[in-house]
Parts: sequence; C-alpha cells; structure tokens
Amino acid sequence: MKLRQRIALVTLAATAPMVGGLVWLDVRAQQTAAEAELAELVIARTELAGERERCIANGQSWDEAPRLRRRDRDAAGPPGLPPSAANDGRRAQPLPRPAGPHRAPARFFVYDATLQPRTQGAPAIEAEAARDPATLISRSSIWHGDWVEVLVRTPWPETPCAFVLARGTTEPWLGALLPPTRIWALPALVVFATVLLSIGPVVGRLRKLTAAVQRTAAVGYEQPLAASAAPVAGWGDDEIAELAGAFDSAGEKVRALLAQKDQRERALRDFVADTTHDVAIPLTVLQGHLTTLREGIAAGAPIDRGALASAMDEAHYIGALLHNLGAAAKLDAQEFVPSDSEVELGALVTRVVGRHRPVALQHDVSIEAAIPEEVVITRGDVTLLEQAVSNVVYNAVRHNRPQGHVAVVLMVGVSESVNEQEYEYAHENEYVHARAHVHAHEGRKAQRRFVVRVLDDGPGVAPELLSRLAERGFRSAQARSRSPEGHGLGLHITQRVVDAHGMQLRFSTPEGGGLQVEIEGACS
Amino acid sequence: MPKNDRAMQAHILIVEDDPQLGAQVEKRLRDAGYATTWWREGVRPMKESWPAVELVVLDLMLPGTYGMDMLKQLRTFSEVPVLVLSARTDASDKVRALSLGADDYLTKPFWPEELVERVRARLRRPTLVRAGTTLDVGELALDLENHSTSFRGKLVELTRVEFEILVALARRPGAAVTRAHLVESALDSDRGGGARTLDAHVSRIRKKLGDESLVETVWGIGYRLVDRAK
Repeated sequence: MKLRQRIALVTLAATAPMVGGLVWLDVRAQQTAAEAELAELVIARTELAGERERCIANGQSWDEAPRLRRRDRDAAGPPGLPPSAANDGRRAQPLPRPAGPHRAPARFFVYDATLQPRTQGAPAIEAEAARDPATLISRSSIWHGDWVEVLVRTPWPETPCAFVLARGTTEPWLGALLPPTRIWALPALVVFATVLLSIGPVVGRLRKLTAAVQRTAAVGYEQPLAASAAPVAGWGDDEIAELAGAFDSAGEKVRALLAQKDQRERALRDFVADTTHDVAIPLTVLQGHLTTLREGIAAGAPIDRGALASAMDEAHYIGALLHNLGAAAKLDAQEFVPSDSEVELGALVTRVVGRHRPVALQHDVSIEAAIPEEVVITRGDVTLLEQAVSNVVYNAVRHNRPQGHVAVVLMVGVSESVNEQEYEYAHENEYVHARAHVHAHEGRKAQRRFVVRVLDDGPGVAPELLSRLAERGFRSAQARSRSPEGHGLGLHITQRVVDAHGMQLRFSTPEGGGLQVEIEGACS
Repeated sequence: MPKNDRAMQAHILIVEDDPQLGAQVEKRLRDAGYATTWWREGVRPMKESWPAVELVVLDLMLPGTYGMDMLKQLRTFSEVPVLVLSARTDASDKVRALSLGADDYLTKPFWPEELVERVRARLRRPTLVRAGTTLDVGELALDLENHSTSFRGKLVELTRVEFEILVALARRPGAAVTRAHLVESALDSDRGGGARTLDAHVSRIRKKLGDESLVETVWGIGYRLVDRAK
C-alpha cells in the first residue's frame, strides 16, 4: 500500500470514530431534549385541576391533539404551559406541539399500572418497564429513527392513568445526523485535506530519492547521489536529506570496496601471469636438458653428466623460483603483516641445508650446518624466513666451484658482540663471539640475539658491489637468463623479509675470499 | 652406506594420494632400506586398526579426510613420528601442522634425498649414552669423573683442555661444532686461549688418538666427531 493511501486511511480511521462519537452525542442530546420537552408537557397536564378524573374517565383524552392553528401556536406562549389558566374547567386544550422543527404532532398514550394500554393505538409496552422506579423512563433509541419516546409516571399510580407514553419526533434521522455532521464533518475534512496536502511533497521527494538511488546503483555506485538527486537535497537538512546523505556514504563505501577488490584481482592476475612466464622459461630449459639426455642415451652414449647436472639445476631453480614468487606476492600484498609465530631457527637451518644438499653434492660442493645445542627461537613468518635463508644458501652453492665449501652457522649471543665490526677473519670472528658469550655469563644484561651466517669460499663479490647485492635485479643482465646463476630476485626477497621482520642483513668478504652473509635478529 | 639396524627394520606408512609422487616416495624409502605401506587416501585413524609403523609420511593435501584432521585424530592415541608433506607456501599451514602434533614438514617441491635424510633424522636414536658419568661414542669412551679417555680399548693421555675439547665434541656426535663453542667450553677464558690455539690442540688430539679422521675439520665451522656407528 502506498504512503498516501496509508496516511489517508489512518487519518480516516482516526477522525471517523471521533466524528461518529460527536455526532452520536449530539443526536442523544437532541433526543434527551425532546424527551424532556415531552415529559414536561405530560407533567404540566397532570398538574391541571381535574385532569385526573378526566383521564380516568376517558383514556383517549390525551391523544386528541388537533393541530394548532398557527395563531394559536403563536399565542401558546412558552411550550409546556397551557395557553391560559383561565381554561381551567373547560375542556382541556390540546397539548401544544413541542417546540422545535418536529414533523408530526406529539402523541400521548395512557397506560394503567400494569402497562395495559387505555388509549387506542397505543403501542405495547413490556410489563418489566414498570419496574423502573424513575418517573421518566426514556424509551428512545438512536436506532428508532427520528422519534423519541418517553414513559412518564403520573402522580396517580393506582388509577388506570398510571403511565403516559409520550411520543414525539426530532429531526428526521438523516436530519438528526446532518446538523452535527455539518458541524463536525467540516473540520474533519479540513484536517484530512491538510494531511494529504502536506504529505504530498514528502512522498514526492521520497519517490525522487528512490529513483536517484536506483540510478546510482545501476551504474555500480560510480556516481554519488548528489549528482542525480539535487532536488532531493535541495530541501535543506531534514530527515530526507539525511537519508540521501546516508545513501551517499554507503555508496562511497561500496565504491571503495569494489576498488579494493578490483585491485586485488588485478594483482592476482599479474601474479599468475608473471609466475607462468617466469616458470615457463626454466621449465623449457629443463625439457631441453632432458631431451639431450634422452638423445644421448638413445645414441648409446654414456650419460651426459653435464646435461644431467644442468637439468637438476634447472629443476632446483624452478622450485626456488616458485617459493620466491610466493614470498614476493605475500610481501606485496596490501595488508601484509608478517605472521607472528614461534620460529625454531635450528630446525629451519637444518631444513634449508637439507634442501640444497642434493644440488651441492651434484656440483661437488660440500655444505655443512652448525646449530647450537640450545633451542633458538625468534618470532616471525617461518615460510618467509626460511625462504630468506634459502635464497642466501642457494647463491652460496651456485656461486661456487667444485671442491668448494658452504657453511651455515646459527649463533646466539648478546647485542654487543654481534655489533662488533671486526670481520677480519672467520676464526677471529668466532673468538669474538666466544668472548661475548663468556661475558654473558658474567651477568651483563643485554638482549639475546641470533645470527645466521652463510659462508662460502667461492669467487665472492667485489667489495664495491657488496652493498648492491640485495638490490632487485642486481644481476640484471642475467635476471632472466637461462642460467640459474642469478635471477636477482633471491637476495632482494631476503632483504625484504629481513626488513619486514626488523632484522639485519650484512654482506662481507671474509679473509680467504668468498662471501659471508649474515642475518641477525632478536631472540624471543 | 652403513645403516642403523633399527632403520633397516623400520616400517614407514606413506599417506599420499598422487600416484606418481607416492610411487616415487615408496621406491626411495624402500631403496633406503625401509619397509613401506602406502595408503592412497586419508582415512580416519582408529586405534584398533592402526598399523604398527615407526614413522608416518603424511601429505596434508588429501582428498576425503583432510590431512590435518587425520593428524589430529592420530594424536589422540599415538605418538608415532609424523613427517608432513605440504604444497602450501603459507606459514600458517605449517605452524598448524606442528601444533597439531606433526614432528617435521617438507614443502613441495623437494628432492628425494631431502625426504630420505629427514626420515633418517627422525628415526635416528641418539647413540650418545649419557649413562651417568661416561660418554661413549663408537670406539671412544670418556670418563667424566676421572677425566680419562680410552680409544679402541687403549687408554689415551690427554691434557685437561684436550679432554674438554673431546667431551664437547662427544656430546654431539656427528654434529659440526663451532670453534667458538669449543673455545668457550674447553679453553681458559683469558685472551691466551684463542681459536688458533684450538687448532693446535685438535692437532695434538688427533696425533694422540692415532686416528686422523675421527675428529673431522668442518670448513667455516669447526670440528666434528665422526659417529662411526651411523
């Protein structure tokens, strides 16, 4: 149901009973007045001298009510009073008509004490009515049309003239309603009209607002409401304008959410595309090596160790690449926060070394790990940290030569020791750590820190380039090269992971050549 | 490669739905000397029907009963070591697996040697016998109370420092121990006992034992006491 109809019905429902009630009151009042008039007439007549005998003698006497001629009526004076007391003794004058616009003359019927009628044509009255001790017994009802009836006890209860039923009329029924209706209906109608008129503009504005919202939704909330709902907003700051404002902010939020989703979708598509591309190349190369091997075997030649080693390298590279791409995607995510769980570094180092050992052995590079007896814990994202360390170890194994060495050492110390800048010689460095460890026993309060050191005796890196090692695509010339020697992504990921965890990454050249990479952080 | 007797008898349960990967894992473990059972799908482990195995290799990405659920259910009645295989790069998956009772995890892709090495590590029992005051590693016996050393049954005269070095190495047989740790454990804390001195001590130990290969030099780290029992 529409708003206007609803309001009309409500107004109607509210005013109609009121009007009906007032009309009823009015009609009742009129009836009561008419009854009172009639009763007065009856009582006045009973007070006439000799009326009692006349009544007993002739029950019909009361009902004779010839029409008064106009001039007699005018001369009748105030109603209820006999025209003149001088008429006493003569035949009783007919009762004057009650005042008021009555249609028909009043009629009077006489009853005895048991309510048996004495007048011709008297309506029957049930005997129980006599029980009412009142002198005036109203017998009119709003449903009996336009006449009123009142039963009057005469002062002669034991006589055949005990009761007189007076019947008169008020306005015809419709007329009974009409005057009060005229009075009350008019204000009610005015109220009605006013309500409808005032609700009109409100409903109109709501319709406009609805249309505006639908239009905005149709274009995916691209436009704010204001652009298409000026008439709505133009009415100032009432509730409807507030509603329009609320829709606007909701629309804004939807826009922001959609933009966010769009961005995520794009990032995901980019990632998938990049991954596919980055993996496709080494995979192709791997297939190439396998084909070489197959052809060699088919030709009866001994297994081409070089091709086999290359195939393994390529496969290893693909694995590392996948993990690095995953790590990069994680780091690039908008709301990236490194997960905060316990990371057991000893187990991490063991896993990483185990991961690279097969390839290291393939290249005749020895790889060893040293972890302390105590459990070393830090907090962070175990997958990212593992990838960070793995990338460093991968490089150490790859940038090496046969009979070379890689050592991965997990150390625990206190802050001073790890900040020492003496990197002259691996052995001396160990001593510095040992010394600091001893000092720790002396009760110096400093934060416990760990270092993961990856050491190799490969060709190393020129000192001036050390600081650039972690730049993205540093080995840019070979970044997308077919050789898995460097894709420039690994150390960059390591740097980002280290930064995200609040740790430090250091590169140095140990005496004896090669490269030393250290990741340092706080124990938890 | 000499194998631990126990490892030869060890029975490993493989739970892996991928046919190729499962076949490879099974072959590898069998070649390494283990007995294997291969379940191709996850089942709800029940105490009554659980096989007698020494280790479980469980792939988390299983159809049917999800790997984690299987692990959780298993841990209600068994402490058997579980090595999970996971393809997810998410850290939370691994953390969850470990918290549910997995002992170790391997992320795919992995080399078969990695798997075998991890399985061995899980099944290995420490050969160190911390029986009160003696350390026995293969043919080497160290009496911590009397500070005496015997190798291949013969008594060996070692200085206090040399003894402490051997003890530090013998506490973790087969593991590489850093020079720093050895210096801290065995040498005097004054400046005189440095890393170079350590090398000299080890050199003397080797001579006294008459076996150059028992104490192995580990490049970039320090030394290792070779555990011949492995």
